[in-house]
Amino acid sequence: MMADAASRDEDVILAVRNLSIALPGKDGPALLVDDVSFDVRAHEVFGIVGESGSGKSLTMLAVLGLLPPPLRMVSGSVKLRGRELSGLSFEEMRSIRGKSMAIVFQDPMTTLNPVLRVGAQIGEAVQLHNPGMSKQDVRNRVIELLTLVGIPNPQQRYRQYPNEFSGGMRQRVVIAMAMANEPDLLIADEPTTALDVTIQAQVMRVLAEVRRRTGAAMVLITHDLGLVAETAERMAVMYGGRMMEQAPAHALFNDPAHPYTAGLIASLPRVDREVRELFSIPGFVPDSAHRPGGCVFHPRCGLANDRAICRERRPEVAATSPGRSVACHFNDETAPWRAAQERAMERPVEARAPSVADDSEPILRVVDLRKEFQIGFSLFGFGRKLPALRDVSFDLIKGRTLSVVGESGCGKSTLARVLLRLLEATGGDVFINGEPFMQMSGPLLRARRRNLQVVFQDPYSSLDPRMTIHEVVAEPLRIHGRYDAKRVDDLLAHVGMPPQTGRRRPSELSGGQRQRVAIARSLALNPDILILDEAVSALDVSIQAQIINLLKSLQAEFGLTYIFISHNLSVVRHISDDVIVMYLGHIVEHGPVRRVFETPAHPYTQALLSSIPHPQSGEESRRKRIILTGDLPNPLAPPTGCAFRTRCFRAAAECERHEPALTARTGADHLSACHFAGQTATARAPGDEG
Amino acid sequence: MMRMDLGTKLMVSLLAIMIAFMIVTPFLPFYDPYGQNLAGSLVPIGGASFDGRLYLLGSDTLGRDILSRLALAGQVSTLIGLGAVSVSLVVGVFLGLVAGYFRGPLEAAIMGLADLQLSIPRVLLLIAVSAIVGPSVANLALLLGLTSWVSYGRVARGMTLSLREREFVLSARTQGATAAWNIRKHLLPNVLPQMLIVASYEFGQIVVMEASLSYLGLGVQPPLPSWGMMVSEGQSYLALAPHLAILPSIALFIMVAGLQFLSQAFTSEGDVTGAPQRTP
Repeated sequence: MMADAASRDEDVILAVRNLSIALPGKDGPALLVDDVSFDVRAHEVFGIVGESGSGKSLTMLAVLGLLPPPLRMVSGSVKLRGRELSGLSFEEMRSIRGKSMAIVFQDPMTTLNPVLRVGAQIGEAVQLHNPGMSKQDVRNRVIELLTLVGIPNPQQRYRQYPNEFSGGMRQRVVIAMAMANEPDLLIADEPTTALDVTIQAQVMRVLAEVRRRTGAAMVLITHDLGLVAETAERMAVMYGGRMMEQAPAHALFNDPAHPYTAGLIASLPRVDREVRELFSIPGFVPDSAHRPGGCVFHPRCGLANDRAICRERRPEVAATSPGRSVACHFNDETAPWRAAQERAMERPVEARAPSVADDSEPILRVVDLRKEFQIGFSLFGFGRKLPALRDVSFDLIKGRTLSVVGESGCGKSTLARVLLRLLEATGGDVFINGEPFMQMSGPLLRARRRNLQVVFQDPYSSLDPRMTIHEVVAEPLRIHGRYDAKRVDDLLAHVGMPPQTGRRRPSELSGGQRQRVAIARSLALNPDILILDEAVSALDVSIQAQIINLLKSLQAEFGLTYIFISHNLSVVRHISDDVIVMYLGHIVEHGPVRRVFETPAHPYTQALLSSIPHPQSGEESRRKRIILTGDLPNPLAPPTGCAFRTRCFRAAAECERHEPALTARTGADHLSACHFAGQTATARAPGDEG
Repeated sequence: MMRMDLGTKLMVSLLAIMIAFMIVTPFLPFYDPYGQNLAGSLVPIGGASFDGRLYLLGSDTLGRDILSRLALAGQVSTLIGLGAVSVSLVVGVFLGLVAGYFRGPLEAAIMGLADLQLSIPRVLLLIAVSAIVGPSVANLALLLGLTSWVSYGRVARGMTLSLREREFVLSARTQGATAAWNIRKHLLPNVLPQMLIVASYEFGQIVVMEASLSYLGLGVQPPLPSWGMMVSEGQSYLALAPHLAILPSIALFIMVAGLQFLSQAFTSEGDVTGAPQRTP
């Protein structure tokens, strides 16, 4: 294996050799992880990336000895500082877990026990490995740990319950627990996937800080290539349970040796450039029971070209240069192939078609739309009001794509539901093709609903599990009494699904296929406007690119107007014409995509844009990062004046007194709501990363 | 095939044997649940009367064949159970779906009714009502059904509350589906499998309830036999002829326990709701 030669043995903290994990089944065991080897050296960050089902999390669970039955490690060895772990008893493993190795899981909501005080939970982690420690010492140690992860007022926080912590703060608590015994190795399994980008930046900084203090090595497991590129020194790419490639992080991104890695990188939309069409890896991730023979990637590979060797012989992981290894028969061909892909994707500068004449009547006009939720009821009917949308106004021209971005809780999904009339607005008007949509009711409303259709985020719950795919797509037609089997087949064909798929049920399809079905259903009634509510967020990177390309081609074909709701700014940059940025129910910035991304006017937009990790820029973007302090304020008691001022790096006395209006401050079509709109982020930003 | 542990297998087999017994017995030559024979009063199990007639499971005070009466009583109980379960299933699912889908005052009214009904002891209510309308097999099924819809209603409402927020229901609404459409096409099919599990559990409860009423003399009326009534009749001869009360009790036990184990097995069968399996 590669690492043996390249590094001295004493440097290696974790050595995994030929690890295989099997799931016993009727037709023999299925290998979920197949012959994986890697080393983690002292003090380094080792990134493992892969799509769902690649086996990246299972590998690390096996290292920890936490494989859930009936999964079993069938071969291989795991050595921690030279000590073999694979044969150890449960008791022996327990003395290692939490002391020499610790893990941070994805979801801080479920990692913490809701009925135990935070201090007690961290104290438990301390005491497990220091049974003799006095109560007072444990307490002091916990407060020290809380301080280490940057939790303000640790003395008071010590006595609080997890539900009194925000998501980002909970993840800090989990990190504090993991660091309780200063392990040599920290395993972070998607540590920020459940968090917003601005909070993600905070948590990653905390992780960097605790590692700097304790010198722990870290394995970072993630599907987010940008995040791993910024954080890791060396990385591994896994696919279908096998190791595809290992390399230093910058080398991997600038010069990927495996066609899968190259494809993944090419299929990522990027904030810093525009491309005509995303590259997408064809097909879908095979499930573990039906993996193809030979090279596991060959059916989707751009290099395989149906060559027999790819189908028949499994490529061994081979070192190509010191510190790099790859499992591909034709890795020499990756670089030229990639260059060809890059050329094909490159967008001619004037490419984006100018919008239909600007004086044309907007297809959708939203005027002062408001939505308040009643929270709780008292005897006299005065519940508290939670304002989710405040005076939201915008116009949308036919054929364009408007994106709505913002962190969770900003009101973007509420906006979608109010527009769809799944929730009733508290005030304001919406006009579709000039008709007032909010006043409609009964049969007229049901008839007009077809103008506005939706694709939801979760491909698992958007299709009725008891219907066949044909029935799902036929449903809107049946509702309006216009069922036509041929039209259903046509719709399926438009989203790239053969008509035979109609006989299958949702549970037989993959996430990407289900999302295609959901899109076909939303097109059945020939809508004018399609709301895409995080429609690609739940999908794997390679599948996400397929769906984005599909959406763009459908838009061109049918002249659809999109409202694209997303927290993924790179995707937004790629797909939209105009962008709305929301914060606490307000629109804080609205303008053409290029203006908003290149010269963001509002400090919130500037912070959002700077928090996106992206693969190529590395160090440079890290230095310019604006890390917002704190969390979203309590929406029940929003700050006076400008809602953003509590987290704003540019806040002044004026912001407390006057709420800035949304007006054109930096150009006619570029609206923003900030007293200091347009000042560049670097001018006064407290940027640097710890 | 579902997996069962040993106890479940035993109870379910006993239940199957008893059902077979209830079906087959009427075709046997000696089948005669009503015929009285004063020469054959209180014959013990396997004994014969003075006039030489053989009673496999003995006879009662009037010399009626207990084997035949047990089988007929079983049929009566099953019939009442099936009738009552159907009534309560239809009423409960309907009210539960309506309450869960429309929310608001309608939900408050329906669930309030359910709470009200639970607060009145059911046997007391049944005694009062059956005293007024008079006991008959049909009345009994209807009464038992109308008083046991609450379990279905609650479960159906609970499931509807979460289903109505699922994206496939929302998306049908945005396509212009009416409430009736959503309830019929999306909610009912997804709720029904769970309801059948509730029904298998409730069936046993209904059988016990019918037995209790008949025991009190308010259920099935003589000469039609019922297990509850047979226990009640046999009780006076507990010392002299214990099988009179014990045999129908055993039958009742097998029926209820068997159903209970069966419904347990259904429940643990896992994905009964057709909910998607989230495999990555």
